[in-house]
Amino acid sequence: MSGILTSYLTLAAILFCIGLYGALSKRNAVIVLLSIELMLAAVSLNLIAFAKYGMNPSITGQIFSLFIITVAAAEAAVGVALLIAYFRNKGSSDVTDMDDLKQ
Amino acid sequence: MESVYSPYAWLILLFPFVAFVLLIAFGRQLHRLSPWIGTFAAFASFVIAALLFGERIAYDVPDYSWAEFRWLNAGEASFQFGFEVNALTAFMLFIVALVALAVNVYSAGYMKSDERLSAFYCYLALFSFAMLGLVLSENLLQLFIFWELVGVSSFLLIGFWFVKPEAKAAAKKAFIITRIGDVALFIAIWVLFWRMPGHGLGFTSIHNAFHTNVISAEAASWIALLIFIGAMGKSAQFPLFTWLPDAMTGPTPISALIHAATMVAAGVFLVARTYDVFLAAPAVLDAVLWIGIITALLAAVIAAVQTDVKRVLAFSTVSQLGFMMTALGVGTWAAYASGLFHLHTHAFFKALLFLGAGSIIHVLGEQDIGRINGAGHTMRITKWTFAVGALALSGLFPFAGFWSKEAILAEVWNRSVTLFAVSIVLTALTAFYMSRLYFYLFSKNRSRQTSSSAKESPWTMTIPMIGLAVLSVTAGLIHMPHLPWLGEWLTGLSFDTDLHVMIMIASNLSALIGIGIGYLLYGRTGQQAEDAASSSRWRRLIYHQFYIDDIYAWLFVKPLRGAGLLLRWFDRVMISGAVHGTAALISAVGRGAARLQHGQLQGYGLVFLIGAVILAAILFMVAGRSYFHVG
Amino acid sequence: MSSITQFFSSSEHVIFFVLALGAISGAVFMITLSKLVHMILSLAVTFLSLAGLYVLLNAEFVAFAQVLIYAGAVTILMMFGIMLTKHEDAEDKAKRPRHRMLLGVSITLLFAVLFLAIQQLSLPAQDALQADNNTEAIGEQLFTLHVIPFELVSLLLTVAFIGSIIVAKKEAE
Repeated sequence: MSGILTSYLTLAAILFCIGLYGALSKRNAVIVLLSIELMLAAVSLNLIAFAKYGMNPSITGQIFSLFIITVAAAEAAVGVALLIAYFRNKGSSDVTDMDDLKQ
Repeated sequence: MESVYSPYAWLILLFPFVAFVLLIAFGRQLHRLSPWIGTFAAFASFVIAALLFGERIAYDVPDYSWAEFRWLNAGEASFQFGFEVNALTAFMLFIVALVALAVNVYSAGYMKSDERLSAFYCYLALFSFAMLGLVLSENLLQLFIFWELVGVSSFLLIGFWFVKPEAKAAAKKAFIITRIGDVALFIAIWVLFWRMPGHGLGFTSIHNAFHTNVISAEAASWIALLIFIGAMGKSAQFPLFTWLPDAMTGPTPISALIHAATMVAAGVFLVARTYDVFLAAPAVLDAVLWIGIITALLAAVIAAVQTDVKRVLAFSTVSQLGFMMTALGVGTWAAYASGLFHLHTHAFFKALLFLGAGSIIHVLGEQDIGRINGAGHTMRITKWTFAVGALALSGLFPFAGFWSKEAILAEVWNRSVTLFAVSIVLTALTAFYMSRLYFYLFSKNRSRQTSSSAKESPWTMTIPMIGLAVLSVTAGLIHMPHLPWLGEWLTGLSFDTDLHVMIMIASNLSALIGIGIGYLLYGRTGQQAEDAASSSRWRRLIYHQFYIDDIYAWLFVKPLRGAGLLLRWFDRVMISGAVHGTAALISAVGRGAARLQHGQLQGYGLVFLIGAVILAAILFMVAGRSYFHVG
Repeated sequence: MSSITQFFSSSEHVIFFVLALGAISGAVFMITLSKLVHMILSLAVTFLSLAGLYVLLNAEFVAFAQVLIYAGAVTILMMFGIMLTKHEDAEDKAKRPRHRMLLGVSITLLFAVLFLAIQQLSLPAQDALQADNNTEAIGEQLFTLHVIPFELVSLLLTVAFIGSIIVAKKEAE
């Protein structure tokens, strides 16, 4: 019987898909970063839900999500720093303007 | 006694090669200096060649051969590179290096104002390198490589003024026609390679093989014939001679060096180098003889009606080369020596004539003898040296040409009276067209209407001319009827040549008759220049070289062009269709792919997402329930 | 119907429902709102709701970390990011309809696959994790079993922060 686990997983999937949609469709780089945070948070939710209701309930899932939160914080910091540097050089924070990969 | 200088013979090649590399690498920067570099290299080569030659004259040194550099191995056979110094090669080296030096000095004046001066000297150095390498080569394959290099540099130099369309056409023509001969030579090398014991291509082993009759007479005939076809291409023998007159569109010093003295003599040299093969094939020797005499006569006739200075000299060259071939075709070692002797004297006086013609062209800017019409008579040095050259070519006593012609005539006399008669006619014709040319260029009588303000060429041009003029007088003294020093030195045999007084008188008389007719026709009055187009049918026929070019055009060029057009159609429609179709398809795919390559990270993310979804869906459907059921 | 009433019979389930609604609506508003500040604030609601869910899942320490880092630090950081860059509030300069359409379709498919997979998931009945002194347990685990990743993460953070300072620093003229 895993009714409540299913609900948690479904919620995480919904959040993940919304985050993914935002990451791939939003034009403002800050919002793209935020969407990525949302996707990471959805994954964390999965882990914590498994930590309680999973196959072998243990606290390791929570520790993993702690790591994820740390990495996400670092990612957000570096992301915003890159964004500011880019903005200073190119005068734009629009993701669709960032087509330097083409060259 | 061992040779002191022979082990260093390869240095002869080194200098022009270094000059070539220097000029090709730093030509632009060295612009004004390039004549110095080229001339220095030529001088250094000449010094070594002279040392080699002198040593061989002064002492009785054995032949020196070095072939240690193994180029490649093919089965049990191996190809070696090396060099060989013997009497023949030392002799040739001396001639080539000397004429090359003269031409290098001369070009410093002639090409002075050309903006591609360094390129000219670069090609000249390449040619010297190739020609000297050809002479020094130890085996046939190596000779062939240099033979082709000579052809390339000749091509580059004929087409040196490539902005002129006729220069381009002439360069192509020379390259393609000599290529016919080259292919034959290459086949000859292959046949030799298969037939020779131990697959040796060295001249020494060829000599040994043909002396011990290892190779059947039939094979020898084929090899000799193919080698001779190769020589025909390079030495402009009938019917492959049509490229040489056209090659005169190149700079005149080049005509003197390549197309008079050295490269065209390479064919004669090749026949002489492989003379053992020819001696084993008497039928081919006859062919050499007849083709030689036909070429000589035909070209002399054509030369008599040409109106371009350089074309007259070109046909004269063809004629003289034919005469050398005739000598070689007689098939005795004495005749062989006389042919090479003529090659030697001819190199000097023909180079001299070309340099003289170049001097006139340089000063007057005119090549048509009708329009020059005596205007050269104020250029004293050119006039006198040209006269020496013309008399030497006519074969008048005591000039160099006399001795060499006499030597050949004596051999021809021994062979056949008919041939001798033809040769006497040839001598008269030669004297005639040379006097015609001389009077057209320098006769004071003709020049009434033209202004005679022509000044002499600079010293860089006159000095080589004077030097060659001296040689044109004296070079004949090394081989005389009772003193056949050159022949004995070259062949190592002793000849008992008699003094053929009758032959001498006959040849001198015929030359005098030729000169006399020339004087009567062209030397006395200011006769109007002849116009080839409006003159008689016969004259036009001869002027256009018996329409041999047109016959070629009909026989080979047009059918080939037709085949070419057909093939081009096939290529366009079928092959290009397929190729372009494929290309278009691929470029369409490429354009599609390039549109994906838009640099938009979100687009890439989307593509990635689509892929991931498809994979997840496949995983879900294939793995199904069991995958999600734990425990 | 009965299953729904049964679901809401437990207070835990009711709380889950409310928090999940908050999280989803926060996320949806982040996508649909037009002002950037509003977007960030609505995502903060999502993060707070998630923290509540973590409490519900007996992960109090993670929940606090979530509130501190996500709802606090990251959100503020993003605010700074917005303040330091110029931006157009109007989000849709060019709509990129094909991109959006493809994206929508593939995300729907992804969700469908995930949803079906989640529905098919069946685990053997287990005892849920007992909630006794969560923070102490995490501390014990971190400093025994996971001590090397823990130290590595601290290194990573140091590197990331130094790196971001260098990247964002104004270059010398």
